[in-house]
Amino acid sequence: MAHSFQTGEHLPHNRPEGDPPDPQGLPRQRAGVTPQMHGRFPDFDVMAHREHWDPVTRRTLEERVAQVPACRFFDEREQRTLGAFLDVVLAQDSEPRIPVLQMVDKKMADGKLDGYRFDDMPPDPETWKRVARHLDGFAERSDAEQHEVVRRFSGGELDWDDLNVSRAWSVVMRGALSEFYSHPWAFNEIGFRGPAYPRGYMRRNMGPTGVDPDEPQEAFGLDPVRDLQQRSA
Amino acid sequence: MSPLVPGLGGLIKGSPVPRDNDSAWLLDVHRRGIPGADTMARYHDHDEVDMVIVGAGAGGGTLAQRLARRGWRIVVLESGPFWDPDRDWVSDEAGQHQIYWTAPRVIGGTDPVQLGKNNSGHGVGGSMIHYAGYTPRFHPSDFHTRSQDGVGADWPIAYEELRPHYERVERELPVAGQDWPWGDPHAYPHAAHPVSGAAEVAREGARRAGITMRVGPVGITNGVFGNRPHCIYRGFCLQACKVNAKASPFVTHLPDAIAHGVEIRADSHVTRVEFDGAGRCTGVVYMHDGVEHHQRAAAVVVAGYSIETPRLLLNSAGPRFPDGLANEHDQVGRYVMVQGAPQVAGRFAQTMHQYKAPPPEISSEDFYETDPERDFARGFTIQTVGPLPIGWAEHVLADGHWGHPLREYMRDYAHWTTLGLLCELLPQPENRVTLAQETDAHGMPVAHMSYSQCENDRANIAYGKRVLEHIWEAAEAQDTLTIDRYAHLVGGCRMGTSPETSVVDSDHRAWGIPNLFVCDGSVMPTQGSANPALTIMALASRLADRLGDKRVGEARAATAGAHV
Repeated sequence: MAHSFQTGEHLPHNRPEGDPPDPQGLPRQRAGVTPQMHGRFPDFDVMAHREHWDPVTRRTLEERVAQVPACRFFDEREQRTLGAFLDVVLAQDSEPRIPVLQMVDKKMADGKLDGYRFDDMPPDPETWKRVARHLDGFAERSDAEQHEVVRRFSGGELDWDDLNVSRAWSVVMRGALSEFYSHPWAFNEIGFRGPAYPRGYMRRNMGPTGVDPDEPQEAFGLDPVRDLQQRSA
Repeated sequence: MSPLVPGLGGLIKGSPVPRDNDSAWLLDVHRRGIPGADTMARYHDHDEVDMVIVGAGAGGGTLAQRLARRGWRIVVLESGPFWDPDRDWVSDEAGQHQIYWTAPRVIGGTDPVQLGKNNSGHGVGGSMIHYAGYTPRFHPSDFHTRSQDGVGADWPIAYEELRPHYERVERELPVAGQDWPWGDPHAYPHAAHPVSGAAEVAREGARRAGITMRVGPVGITNGVFGNRPHCIYRGFCLQACKVNAKASPFVTHLPDAIAHGVEIRADSHVTRVEFDGAGRCTGVVYMHDGVEHHQRAAAVVVAGYSIETPRLLLNSAGPRFPDGLANEHDQVGRYVMVQGAPQVAGRFAQTMHQYKAPPPEISSEDFYETDPERDFARGFTIQTVGPLPIGWAEHVLADGHWGHPLREYMRDYAHWTTLGLLCELLPQPENRVTLAQETDAHGMPVAHMSYSQCENDRANIAYGKRVLEHIWEAAEAQDTLTIDRYAHLVGGCRMGTSPETSVVDSDHRAWGIPNLFVCDGSVMPTQGSANPALTIMALASRLADRLGDKRVGEARAATAGAHV
């Protein structure tokens, strides 16, 4: 499939069904890792720049990638349910996956919370447990059924007696996204250069003239064979 | 130490140095911690110091620096850690969780305000460690919105009383920006920073939409300033400036305060203010390493910001003050304010990598004042913001996306640039901080914050969002994404002219308690649509002048007619 990222036609708002093109059509990652190994910046690996980071930051990011602790907070049944749920909401449908469940589990086990809870909600760790209970059996459902449950969850359309559904969605999604987009593999996928201290940036203007050395280069997404055929036609 | 230029009248960009504040010269160019911390004064708990300040943020830090210069013996108790940025801070969004107030709090009301990383700091330097860096002044109108526009409240002081302190603090930060045409027109000591491509697109869109935008004002050095390094434009302002280029009390006031004998006692969580039989405070109780301590002081200043300050006053209730301190008329904790801060991002064909710049770049105050053409009072400010990946993910989620659509918008990050609003939401008595049933690790009841918008608030936010959409349309954006959110916190212990309607008087003194003061954003009766940091510092600077010159008069009683 051939698409250019210039026009914005790939964006969900600009497409009739609101779904993006199949990410399998994106280039395969050549340097480093991205979740599911597809991405827009196939030759960009943020960790390749680690020598330019200050030592404390370097250690933080290296540990985030290398140390994936086993779950201590969620039991096995909850892990199966929430693992399947997180794969759907984060569109992680194949390996390699960012281990979001383990990352969330660690945060809940360590009690590293966000500093507030809604007065009609339990503390975040309990919210996760209750969500797991209400979604019990999710992992065994078909893709279509899972998608439908998540759609209703996101719209606040589920009826749970002990949880405000919209707020529960906000708690679990905030938690999931904070972990997913803290991971260097996600930085690779979206072309984020990550830590920038003490280095900083050189060029900051738009377009090709604003590109720094070592900046992630966006792939054009053109099929080379078809491109060549079209050009020689 | 600071090379003052004799006879320098007007502002020559980049040259002015602050008066009576050597903070920037007391730092080390190659280390980020405060060098003087190693040899800082230490007081005993049983020493009666001249003043104990609760909270080492914008209010407490500035006040301590000013009064130490006049010889006051001061201890600042800070609940959070004393940072060494080289050791403690990382250039990473998730890794900086520690700089926020993450102890439990409960939120409610019809429009609850998310706290934590959104608006609540923890540690030496306070919330200015994570603020974006915008440092606009309030407009003169902000001090009398009740008389002028029939909404909000009138302050017991006027803009003119703060102007010299705005000017002084702007030199201390120092503030960089273009000449400012709005409010009380003024210039800034440092020139405007270069603008990124992402902000340039927004500026062009605004120009086509007939909206004026200017570069700045930001508390980020742009030139020679003592030992403060120049900004490296790495985009992590909200995650604490590991460069020391962004202003916060940590680099602008505490080095000088420490050099003049102030002790900053970190990891010390104050749980109560203590009293003698005559109703004067005698000091505070605080927890350090799980052990309770008492610090004696001739005067107590609470500077814990809009949630912790009311919480401490309420939790200090006792036989003499059964409803909490300065709360005889049920005013403590009321009129807490946040600004409506929706953001709309625009999508463009070329990549611009909006993270490659400090989030605070350009702003507009064209819509700041009440406009009779609009269906609401007061207004809003437009500013660039620069979400990092987690912030961008929250933005995409808020627009209603998850799964593959969310991942697609995230992959598109390089093509987007984001504008945000600060809408002036009005002070309301039921928007308040109270004590919840639940207690924290120190056994102290946690704060409950209730927040609901009024009709004027909703109309203001809705109008502002349409203006942002109009800007992106004019800039020919290919798509937009919107998030509704809040920013900042002020109010909760407002200053006023009577104990029936306020908590402190125009000298920040608690009604009915002669030696108790509040010096932080909680004293603000209104918030304008300006970021509050500069005004909190200017208020502290003014209070220091009044205390130092002994211009703070005899205390008035909490109940009209009675005598202290």
